[in-house]
Amino acid sequence: MQTLESAEVAVLERPDGLGELPDFTSEAYKDAYSRINAIVIEGEKEAYDNYMSIGTLIPDKADELEKLGRMELRHMKGFTACGKNLGVKPDMPFAKEFFSSLHGNFQAAFAQGNLTTCFLIQAILIEAFAISAYNVYIRVADPFARKITEGVVKDEYLHLNYGQQWLKANLETCKEELIKANKVNLPLIRSMLDQVAEDAKALDMDKEELMEEFMIAYQDSLTEIGLDNREIARMALAAVV
Amino acid sequence: MFGLIGHSTSFKDARLKAMELGYDHIAEGDLDVWCSAPPQLVEHVKIVSPSGKEIEGAYIDSCFVPEMLSRFKTARRKVLNAMELAQKKGINITALGGFTSIIFENFNLLQHKNIRNTTLEWERFTTGNTHTAWVICRQFELNAPLIGVDHKKAKVAVVGATGDIGSAVCRWLAKRTGVGELLLVARQEKPLISLQKELGGGRILSLEEALPEADAVIWVASMPRTLEIDSSKLRNPCLMIDGGYPKNLDSKVSAEGVHVLKGGIVEFFTDIGWSMMELAEMEKPQRQMFACFAEAMLLEFENCHTNFSWGRNNITLEKMDFIGEASLRNGFSTLNLNGSLQVAAA
Repeated sequence: MQTLESAEVAVLERPDGLGELPDFTSEAYKDAYSRINAIVIEGEKEAYDNYMSIGTLIPDKADELEKLGRMELRHMKGFTACGKNLGVKPDMPFAKEFFSSLHGNFQAAFAQGNLTTCFLIQAILIEAFAISAYNVYIRVADPFARKITEGVVKDEYLHLNYGQQWLKANLETCKEELIKANKVNLPLIRSMLDQVAEDAKALDMDKEELMEEFMIAYQDSLTEIGLDNREIARMALAAVV
Repeated sequence: MFGLIGHSTSFKDARLKAMELGYDHIAEGDLDVWCSAPPQLVEHVKIVSPSGKEIEGAYIDSCFVPEMLSRFKTARRKVLNAMELAQKKGINITALGGFTSIIFENFNLLQHKNIRNTTLEWERFTTGNTHTAWVICRQFELNAPLIGVDHKKAKVAVVGATGDIGSAVCRWLAKRTGVGELLLVARQEKPLISLQKELGGGRILSLEEALPEADAVIWVASMPRTLEIDSSKLRNPCLMIDGGYPKNLDSKVSAEGVHVLKGGIVEFFTDIGWSMMELAEMEKPQRQMFACFAEAMLLEFENCHTNFSWGRNNITLEKMDFIGEASLRNGFSTLNLNGSLQVAAA
């Protein structure tokens, strides 16, 4: 006969077979979740804002970018539901502060009409950061959030990343700027990761795995744009030193 | 296209190689950085067989180093990520080299088919164990006579007899070579008994019991660092084939009449313009390589895009025949004791 305990045990197994899922009801989990969830919500919202901003710089592509932005808004709603489902109130002021440096750099680039830097920040760094976090989170998420996150990741892989395509098409003229912007902004991603490492750990997400997933997504993205291994290695160096 | 998934033999070597290749971001990093480093497709090669058939291949470094063996989650990620990269690059058949196949098997990674948005297709991968087993057997057959051991009369100890390669070697030596006697050594008794039953012979012994009796010892188990071998108890002459990974037998035995041969190594008939075999400490890195890597090349040469060596104890004599013939036909020969190579003639 199935008991309540055995039902719970069945639910708590990780989908990748690497042990049990964390206790989603514990105070420690919810406390960490209030910040991680806020970061995800804020990240998706800023992605929307950023794509809308970029659209004003390339008016003939504004529709396409708005579509991209709307997709990010849908993701934001999904993640908001994840927090609600666990009875967690996202710590939005923390998340705003968390993104402030990167947000500031994006705004400065936007003000100068610097599309290369805008796309590097949004379409490469933030997208890679998000997709890596989602990939790791799926393995340890509660069943409700896992389903939502799987849908989001599917979207992210399926949608044509307009920023990547733009950088690819303009690589010859924007490469120098891209490398320069990367040098300034990649270390921010690294320190953002360091900042949330402890909270992520409370959700059973290893920093090592997050970093690896990020580097895979980042490398894939730069390869897609048309950079070679050595160029990517040189760019990635900014995350290490 | 064929693929090879490999790794450096130590963290120190890995950093040096990364520096040489211009991967400064990981070359300068500590072990934690390497644990977070993605796999890298570091080299493309073109290879032409003696009959003029050209194939293309790629070498993927998984960024695994043996120092990560104690980190179970890291090691498993390195293997799965490297396999995902191979598949994403559209490689038809990829060999899992070094610790890669050992980790795959020991950590039971078969149940992890989905990596991110990729569903791994097992038919694109091979452990290369069939070729390794065939090469080890051939090394025994060719080299035993060179040191005065009659391979038809010899007592041959197989250490790690019940493993995938070990059991295949036993099968071949019993049925094809027809050795004097097989001495079966492995940790667990139950599989040893079923192997003995399958072979219809062979004596089950402990390592200590087997060594003094053996005219030849074939090692296909990874050797614990702490293992000590009393060289004075070995026979003279004695052929030792080091088919395990890593290959460290020559540091453990030294006595007159005892000849240690690196097992499961083949040499291509001409230079290959690649640099990655230096990592594996081959004497002639332009030509020599692990037989498991060569299996991926052979399968590509033969248009045999399937997971030829897969799972445990699936290596049949017929499969060994197939890969052995392909090996000779496509310009590979085995590494032998005197350094000179056996001409590719059966």
